[in-house]
Amino acid sequence: MEAVTLLDAVPTARNRCLTFRHDLPLMRLRRFFACSLPLVLVAACSRGEPTAAPVEGPDGGTLVVAEPGDADNLLPPVTASILGHAVADLVYDHLAEIGDGMQTTGDVGFKPQLADSWTWAPDSMSVAFHLNPRARWHDGVPVRAADVRFSLALYKNPKLGSAIAPLLSNVDSVTVKDSLTAVAWFHAKTPESFFNIVYQLWVLPAHLLDTIPPERLATSETVRHPVGSGRFRFEKWDPGSQLVLVADTGNYRGRAKLDRVIWAIAPDNNAAFTQLLSGEADLLEIATPDQLKAAASHPALAPFVWPSLQYVFLGMNFRDAAHPAQPSPFFSDLRVRRAVSMAIDRHAMLRNVFDSLGAISYGPFPRSLATADTTLRLPPYDPAHAQALLDSAGWMAGPGGVRRRGGRPLQIRLIVPTSSAFRMSYAVLIQDALRKVGIACDIDAEQFPSFFAKQAAGNFDLVLAGYGTDPNAGGAQQEWGSDAMPPGGLNYLRYSDPRFDAMLDSASASFDAAAARRYASRAYQVIADDAPGVWLYDAVAYGLISRRFHLPAMRPDGWWQHLADWTVPIDQRIDRDRIGLGSPTH
Amino acid sequence: MGRRVAARLGQAVVVVWIVATLAFVLIHAAPGDPFSFDAPTVSEAVRAHWRAEFGYDRPLATQYLLWLGNLAHGNLGYSHSMHEPVRDALAAALPRTLVLMAVALVGAFVLGILLALFQVEHRGTRRARWAGNVALFFYSVPDFWLALVMVLAFAYWLPILPAGYPVSMATHDYMAPLAAFVDSLRHLVLPALTLVLLTTAGIARFQRNELLDVLPLDFVRTARAKGLSERQVVRRHVLRNALIPTITLFGLSMPTLLGGSVFVEKVFAWQGMGWVVVNAIGLRDYPMVLAGVLVGTVMVILGNLAADLAYGLADPRLRVD
Repeated sequence: MEAVTLLDAVPTARNRCLTFRHDLPLMRLRRFFACSLPLVLVAACSRGEPTAAPVEGPDGGTLVVAEPGDADNLLPPVTASILGHAVADLVYDHLAEIGDGMQTTGDVGFKPQLADSWTWAPDSMSVAFHLNPRARWHDGVPVRAADVRFSLALYKNPKLGSAIAPLLSNVDSVTVKDSLTAVAWFHAKTPESFFNIVYQLWVLPAHLLDTIPPERLATSETVRHPVGSGRFRFEKWDPGSQLVLVADTGNYRGRAKLDRVIWAIAPDNNAAFTQLLSGEADLLEIATPDQLKAAASHPALAPFVWPSLQYVFLGMNFRDAAHPAQPSPFFSDLRVRRAVSMAIDRHAMLRNVFDSLGAISYGPFPRSLATADTTLRLPPYDPAHAQALLDSAGWMAGPGGVRRRGGRPLQIRLIVPTSSAFRMSYAVLIQDALRKVGIACDIDAEQFPSFFAKQAAGNFDLVLAGYGTDPNAGGAQQEWGSDAMPPGGLNYLRYSDPRFDAMLDSASASFDAAAARRYASRAYQVIADDAPGVWLYDAVAYGLISRRFHLPAMRPDGWWQHLADWTVPIDQRIDRDRIGLGSPTH
Repeated sequence: MGRRVAARLGQAVVVVWIVATLAFVLIHAAPGDPFSFDAPTVSEAVRAHWRAEFGYDRPLATQYLLWLGNLAHGNLGYSHSMHEPVRDALAAALPRTLVLMAVALVGAFVLGILLALFQVEHRGTRRARWAGNVALFFYSVPDFWLALVMVLAFAYWLPILPAGYPVSMATHDYMAPLAAFVDSLRHLVLPALTLVLLTTAGIARFQRNELLDVLPLDFVRTARAKGLSERQVVRRHVLRNALIPTITLFGLSMPTLLGGSVFVEKVFAWQGMGWVVVNAIGLRDYPMVLAGVLVGTVMVILGNLAADLAYGLADPRLRVD
């Protein structure tokens, strides 16, 4: 699973919980979207389509990113923040790079990175990576096969506590054939073996890290000054203030075209937006609808679309909130779950909250996933049918319009994080929709730590949750699989269906991409029929950027993925673009 | 005087301990912990590993004793929100807040006293009433609102000042020393001016009342009888006597400014104590919150102590030995 987090809010701190303020009246929003959507579409057309060719242009330029939230850590195996993830992607290298098509089956679409070629064993149980002999760490030491072996061992070391370690479980080990050949060995022959080893693993410098105990690495001073092999090298990190990367001019893959990238840390999204408007910053990675509207008339700013791998849903707890060992008195009954699904008009809510900028969710996956299926049969919006289902489940109309069964009112508690204004808006709309079919819904809005504690403990009936998934077919297993139950897993709803597990297993095991999609679709249909959640929206993000930057495509796993190829035309450069790579004067 | 200072410092230690203990209990009573942040990819097992690594799985009493022991050795712990030792985070954030507060305090008192003088010298006139109303307006507006308006006015509509950050992030390090100093000053203007405007009215009102209290006294009548102008009477004789209570206000303004700077720091991306501590509270960064509480408490206590001492120095009648 990718180490980025929920999307429907603006990052406020390292936890990157996104907090969109939705306070525009609908009519204002409509006027705004009528004006701004063409702009967005233009941006999407001119920049949004993946292109293999880098943008041509002269070297130089400084990008200042107004970042509402600092990095949590700069050590790739343990970072959980978006900024930490970005630094990992820019400063360190993978053995190979996933292509813009984000294919995860076999090695189709992957491009050389640290490894300039690779050779499969005849039985596909191992692959030998031939490292680029010109690859150097930023301190000048050559990158060697021993670094790959060290990196995998470190990721899998339980003392480090890496969240990525389970994703590398199929990789048994890495051996060193010679100084430039690292052989990765797999436990089983799976379609995603190659994806697992190259996408999840950033290669780390053994000569700098192997003397530090793994349990001390995350807080060590060495890790605060990362030395990688990527096209950007680390310059400095003043926590809470700024993080600076500069072009690695002698890089084996060619220097980054920009001279410098600065993440200027702001306390929240509004402060970051202010910096963008005033010209202090060049990029805001996630803009709220009202910010997009405010920026529409700004001559120097353009919106960009950032597809994501995240989706938000209304989840129903299969366990009793008060006694998690027991089944839920409400949602262990399929009829009640489907009634809740049919009581909610997803499309109307989407328009209400996002107007035309929303993207409806089609199931337990983001639409940008290769196995996404937009044709699933989901419970339709049908309040009358929902009421009939509740009647058949024994929940009959009671005093005050609240249904009852055996004297117990159909009164449920919905937890929602206050950090997300989108989800807060949804909570109110859902409460109203459920009231109309006789379900009393109490909204329990909490700060994120409290929300998370309740979610992890199963202390809720309904939850407005968001998941970020891996780009592979098996990603959904980490959130919905029977093996992903808490406390170790993320299946907080305690949903379990062996048919779903089996189908996703088959999807993960299939070497045929079309067959994998078919299996995944069947798995998704199983979960759609089980209705453990109401699929509300995909977290498609809109950002803002200074028009002087020319950039290639955005990838769903990070707007920064092609940052080394961004350029600033000479005639559009401003003072900070002309600093060059010289040393500070003081 | 020495015994008095020592006694006050002794009381201060007790107050700091009580406040810090209360803060320790309250922040631990809040739901969540430093590792319950929003990262759905981080499993509960990994979070449990980190909790054990930092000792947050131990009984609360044990954690409290450990914290006290570390504190006694000058070890404030590791900040999970700033990702560095708390000591380093404080060393970076505290000077920024102190600079902002110092400039704001001095500016607000100078402006407040001048405004009070203007109102007293022109008392009863329309100009004085207007000055009072304008001051009252700034006193009444919410701090975050005023900060946002300042940004809109001077960084967006009339873009003559930077909207935030203590320095220009991209270019500051590459400027000549004088240019870098000017850059720092330019970034200081808007947040400091916001705090000055918010604080001035209260000081002006207080100072005006003090001036009006002194005006009927005999020595003022004597000064007038000597033929001095009203301006000379007010500035030379009335102001000096009316300034003494304002010294107390100077010390008491510390907590007000600390509170106000939280919002101002957020709006202007001024990475000072207010921002750091509020962020730490949201992330349940216990060591940082407790260090912030300690620093805030010490600042308030020192402000009051300094005001007490200055009061005694300024007015010999109030010296108690």
